[in-house]
Order: sequence, then C-alpha cells, then structure tokens
Amino acid sequence: MSDFRQSQNEAHPNKTNTLMTAIILLLILFVTIQIWFLFGALNNALQENLNFAITTAVGSVIFAVGSFWLLRYLPDPIKRRKKK
Amino acid sequence: MSKDSNEEIPKWKQDFPIEQKEATHVSRREFAKFLTLLSGALAVGNTAIVVKSLAFPEKPLEGEHPICMEADVPEGESFQFEIQGSKVIPYLLINLGQGEWRAFEQKCTHLSCAVKYRHDIGQIECPCHKGYFNPRTGDVIQGPPPRPLPQLEVVIREGQVFVKAQTAYIKKL
Repeated sequence: MSDFRQSQNEAHPNKTNTLMTAIILLLILFVTIQIWFLFGALNNALQENLNFAITTAVGSVIFAVGSFWLLRYLPDPIKRRKKK
Repeated sequence: MSKDSNEEIPKWKQDFPIEQKEATHVSRREFAKFLTLLSGALAVGNTAIVVKSLAFPEKPLEGEHPICMEADVPEGESFQFEIQGSKVIPYLLINLGQGEWRAFEQKCTHLSCAVKYRHDIGQIECPCHKGYFNPRTGDVIQGPPPRPLPQLEVVIREGQVFVKAQTAYIKKL
C-alpha cells in the first residue's frame, strides 16, 4: 500500500532536492552573518564597546535558534520501495 | 587466469566489510546538521565575549610605575618595558625630544605585532603589515590597524621616568 507522502515523493522528486538546497543555503547565510558578527564583536569589545558586543551576541543567538528551527523542515531521505 | 578475490582481501577486512564510500560519504542532511552545530557554536562564542567583558572587566593600571632614568633614553630613541598587572603588557617609551615623552602599548592593534618607533620618519611603525601610528596621540595614520595604540601618561620627576594610566581613561571607566 502506498500513502500520500509516498505518492507525493514519487510525483515530485525534485521537491526534496529544492527544499534541501534552500535550507543549506539559508544555513550558510546564517553562519556567514554570525562569523561577521563575531569578528565585529571581538574588535569592538577590545575597544571597550560593550553595546556592540551585546547586540551582536543577541543577533547571533537569534540566528542559531533560527538554524535549529530550520532543521524541522529538513526532508527525510526518500526511501525506495523494497522490491517484492 | 583470475585470482580468487578472497585471497587479495586481508582477513580483518573480510570480518568488517565496510566500503570506503560508505565511511567517507557525507549526506546533505549531515552537512545541514553540521552547519547548525557551527551556528550554535558561533552564538556561544559571541555570548562568551559579552560574559567575559561583564564578569572580568579589565582593570586600569593603578599607581605610578618607575621605568628608567631620563638620561637612559636619548632624544629620538625608544625604550621597551613591561608592566606586571593582571597580565604582562609590553609598552614602548618614546622620547620625542624637547621634553615630550610618550608611552604606548607595544602590540599593534591589528594582529599584535611589536611596533617600533622610527625617528627618521617621526612615526610608530608596525613592520608586519606596514601600519603607521602618530607618535604623539597613538592614532592610526595608515595601514590596517583598526584602533589607536593604547597610551599611558608619562611623568618625569627628579630625572626619573614614571608611567601611569591616562586620566581620561580612568574618568571614562
């Protein structure tokens, strides 16, 4: 017997691919911005600029939470039907 | 003539048959999870900077520290010294001439290379990446350093050179 998910996967095999690519691109974007924040915070904290360090830390945590939240939508690998 | 395939494979491989492709393959799911982990690590690192700044603020230099005699450093020369505080920081004492003395942290604000005073061009130079600082104010004149050199106040008393934290710096804290 096949269910709706299986039919969808077979009818639109590219969907999983697109979703996976989108998630990975978003994650790369988040990580890049976080690296930028960290670099800026290191430079500014050295200059006694605590406000900048706090702002970037909050931003970085939001991005990290966003990254973990994105994992919810990580598609499961399409399992091939076992041949009988 | 064909050899028996079992003869070529060592016995330990026969016992644990794991294909190299399986062992080294990183799926896109795993890659996405790794990126998420990296994102979490960066957030922790960024938060650690704030925690460190709040929990362990840098203490300003307390009191006056005798460095050397005035006559030890001729005009246009510099003298390197260290002050033991919460950590050892190297400084550079510069005799600019006409009674003008300056003391700066010797670590370049770019990548912590040791800076040196060049009297011939009247600038403090970082030889690593050609950063130049103003020897009177410590401001960046040219090059990659993002901030001016931290400065100490120099006091000359009875022919002896003392340094102390800058008054403006203490007020700011």
